[in-house]
Amino acid sequence: MKIKEKIKVLLHLFIIFFKAGTFTFAGGLAMLPVIERDVVEKYRLMSKDEFLEYATLSQTLPGVIALNCASFVGRHAAGAIGMIVAGFGATISAFVLMIVATILLRFVPEGGPVAGAFSAIRAASAALVLSAAFTLGQHNIKSIFSVILMLAAFTAVAFLNISAPIVVLLAGAAGYFYGKFGGRTTSAPVDTGADGSSGGEDME
Amino acid sequence: MTLLLQCLELFYSFFKIGIMGFGGGYAMMSMIIAESEKYSITAAQFADLNALDMIVPGPIAINSATYVGYIYAGIPGAVAATVGVSLPSLIIIALVMRFIARYRENKIMKGFLSGVKPAAVGLIGAAALTIAAGVLIKEGAEWSGFFADPLGTASVFLFAIFVITAVLNIKFKVNPILLTLAAGVIGAVVSFF
Repeated sequence: MKIKEKIKVLLHLFIIFFKAGTFTFAGGLAMLPVIERDVVEKYRLMSKDEFLEYATLSQTLPGVIALNCASFVGRHAAGAIGMIVAGFGATISAFVLMIVATILLRFVPEGGPVAGAFSAIRAASAALVLSAAFTLGQHNIKSIFSVILMLAAFTAVAFLNISAPIVVLLAGAAGYFYGKFGGRTTSAPVDTGADGSSGGEDME
Repeated sequence: MTLLLQCLELFYSFFKIGIMGFGGGYAMMSMIIAESEKYSITAAQFADLNALDMIVPGPIAINSATYVGYIYAGIPGAVAATVGVSLPSLIIIALVMRFIARYRENKIMKGFLSGVKPAAVGLIGAAALTIAAGVLIKEGAEWSGFFADPLGTASVFLFAIFVITAVLNIKFKVNPILLTLAAGVIGAVVSFF
């Protein structure tokens, strides 16, 4: 009976993340609302607050956002196996479809409507990366300090050929020391405002 | 034997990207671009990759790892890169869940993230620039020629698509999937003239 329960939960985990991984375009961030609906309302694996906390953490921690979320939910619902099943569900279709797409891309003839369409899609997609920077900037750029860090990171990677992981570490160190010694600590981290999921902060 | 070495190389590169990848797939893009110089992926191939990221469903980091791995070392390479970029998520989340209460209160982590978040915006901007250069600059031309001879350097049609898409998405919040589809249709139609 207990094993039956667990298999059912694992199956649900796989379905939730496979569905989200197969039917959302333009990256993992777009998957979160779809996952939320299934996890909280349809299969009732956890409360909405718990999910929102995991979703927020998924975005602040390093790694693949959709996979972070799958790991949290999977482990919460069914331990280590749940984590692997949910993670597998979230990534398998991206993997398979990408290989198929890469192979098909080789057969696109030079010139002609398909090549024309793809070349315009390349231009549009490049613009969407720029717009991702804008969207994230609206949430993360709120002080002069953050503007300086953003510009420094941009210049370092785009023009000075400094490797991105080093830039991330330096920026993190700068953030830590700025919070400790420079100016006052911004007590409201950028990500908590949106959903108030962290709780316990409102002293009444 | 060489295949095994290639796979290990890919695994290591993408594991590093997964661990350092704050801010999701787009922020990882600039790391993937830098690492992929090792795998002799050209700017034009990056533009291809970025377009496929939009068309193919799923997380961008997974799509990208699969693409780079496949081009460099076939299906085994794709598996190695994808597992490499995924593993850090599993490890980090397992650790965080064990210490979740302490993680939430951790001052060092908070300070660190307050620096990483704005930097991630800069990283995505840098990735956008690299990818845009791969798309918009004509084959054989150089960035540096842009101001001397803009028409000979960049494609006007693609540049227009780029600017219009950016404005429609940033300013008017038009759905990215719709914009991608529209660009495809326009590109196909224009190719008949």
